[in-house]
Amino acid sequence: MTTTIPTTTVPTINPPIPWAASNRLALRTRSDDTRAVPAALRSEWIKLASLRANKVILALTPLVGALIAWALASSATDKKLTASELFIFPLPLVAMLATATGILMFTSEAQHGTLAAALTARPTRWMIVTAKAAMATMVGLVLGATAMAAGFGGALLGGVEVGDESAIASRAAWALLYIALGAMIGLGVGMIARHSAGAISGLLMWAFVIESLFAPALPDGVVHFLPFSAGYRLLDAGPNFKAPVTIAHELARPEYALIFGGYALVSLAIGTLLLYRRDTN
Amino acid sequence: MINVSGLTKRYGDRTAVDNLTFDVADSRVTGFVGPNGAGKSTTMRMMVGLTPPDAGEVRYNGVRYTDLKHPARMVGAVLDARCMHPGRTARNHLRAMAAMSDIPAGRVEQVLAEVGLESAVDQRAGGFSLGMRQRLALAGALLGDPQVLLLDEPSNGLDPDGIRWLRNHLSAFAVRGGTVFVSSHLIGELSLFADDLVVVGAGKLLAAETVEAITARQAVTVVAETPQPADLARVLAARDVTVEATGDRLVIRGTTKAAVSQLAFENGIRLVELSETAQSLEDSLLDMTGASAEFTSA
Repeated sequence: MTTTIPTTTVPTINPPIPWAASNRLALRTRSDDTRAVPAALRSEWIKLASLRANKVILALTPLVGALIAWALASSATDKKLTASELFIFPLPLVAMLATATGILMFTSEAQHGTLAAALTARPTRWMIVTAKAAMATMVGLVLGATAMAAGFGGALLGGVEVGDESAIASRAAWALLYIALGAMIGLGVGMIARHSAGAISGLLMWAFVIESLFAPALPDGVVHFLPFSAGYRLLDAGPNFKAPVTIAHELARPEYALIFGGYALVSLAIGTLLLYRRDTN
Repeated sequence: MINVSGLTKRYGDRTAVDNLTFDVADSRVTGFVGPNGAGKSTTMRMMVGLTPPDAGEVRYNGVRYTDLKHPARMVGAVLDARCMHPGRTARNHLRAMAAMSDIPAGRVEQVLAEVGLESAVDQRAGGFSLGMRQRLALAGALLGDPQVLLLDEPSNGLDPDGIRWLRNHLSAFAVRGGTVFVSSHLIGELSLFADDLVVVGAGKLLAAETVEAITARQAVTVVAETPQPADLARVLAARDVTVEATGDRLVIRGTTKAAVSQLAFENGIRLVELSETAQSLEDSLLDMTGASAEFTSA
């Protein structure tokens, strides 16, 4: 439905605003750029919180976490699986949600033209990227935390025991790192592709099809370094957890974190470079 | 004042903007005209740092746009009225822009009132008419109370009422002391309120003058009807003017009605009709840019 408004309004001429007039020609310094990051963060938060789609994703995430964990717990014939292991099982799917959100944080702005408004207000590109990366990390952490909390509850409802409580904090921390890095990879890919459908479908294809299909046929030394194979290893829940790929010589989790984090860093770096060099419409 | 000097942008083999140099004076409305593909939008994007130039620079009162600590307080830009997320309300759209520029949140309500969108603050931009989108885009540009407004084809798609609203608003902005730099295809509309014109074609500067100066150069056509067309044509031919004769009717270019009347009187030639028409500003500008137009009609 389109609303129209009367067009006969007479333009008002307001007096100049002191805070605006006094420092119009003030010159930017490097420290100004750093001090402007909180303002950019506030803007990114307003953009994120003001869209219904993001609220729907936030509402659906714990539901997804609870349902997957409950279904696995209910159907597990081997009741040695516990809630302290199952609560992270929904996270690969939640990681894709976080990755897609990271993609959309950039591509949606590029496609609707609001990126131009942001860059006009703050021409320093790295500051915009920093704010977006920080917001993507926050989104990842929130989605991960809510999914894991709901997953724990869902697993208990499914009839499994709590299990080793001492391992929960460690598993949750690695899982949150996995989700947050996934969101940043999404942001980097979005900055490179600049197209929502292409970026999301490409990333999903890579993660769920290419890596899953080809990883078993690749040498173990190569599989370690595939992005989502490395990231998935951060979710290692212990002896009952079977990785989707067979790895003869596993690396330590910090090493997998470095590999997955490296992909996030490289995609963000390439995306930032392209942001400086490309035209923005 | 805005100083554009040596601005150049190339895309592969094609030079979209070629060594463009002009000034935009304070407290005036400057029109930026040229045919499609002349480089107007590319120039405006370079003026606000959205497109990196291959050469040249733009300075606002001596300061480059990218060196400004608060760009939104110096320059407000409306480059595309469709640049808003359809799922976001007008208020949140402006709140996000205000936050990015560190502008007090209260300013959002002020600019919405200034452009007449108070009744639509909580409506999603996807439901806006084109006129409302244009107003919201202008509100975004006014958030920082800028000294300069840059607008790229702001009248596109607006109805006559909307065009008049925009013209009044931009004129009021200039009267208040602001500088307006506006590109438009509607040359006739632009000539109603522009003080200066910058004319480009194929990326090159063709003219940068006041509207009065361009108007003064407009070609004049004299039409004379006489029972002695051959005599009048002979007399005019000696005066280095062009004459097209169709029966008793002569179309004369390169002289004035008064001069033709005097010549006819001195040579005893009777005139039945004598009239003079000036070329429109639009025709003048089309003549100026005609050779550099990328696409022309047959």
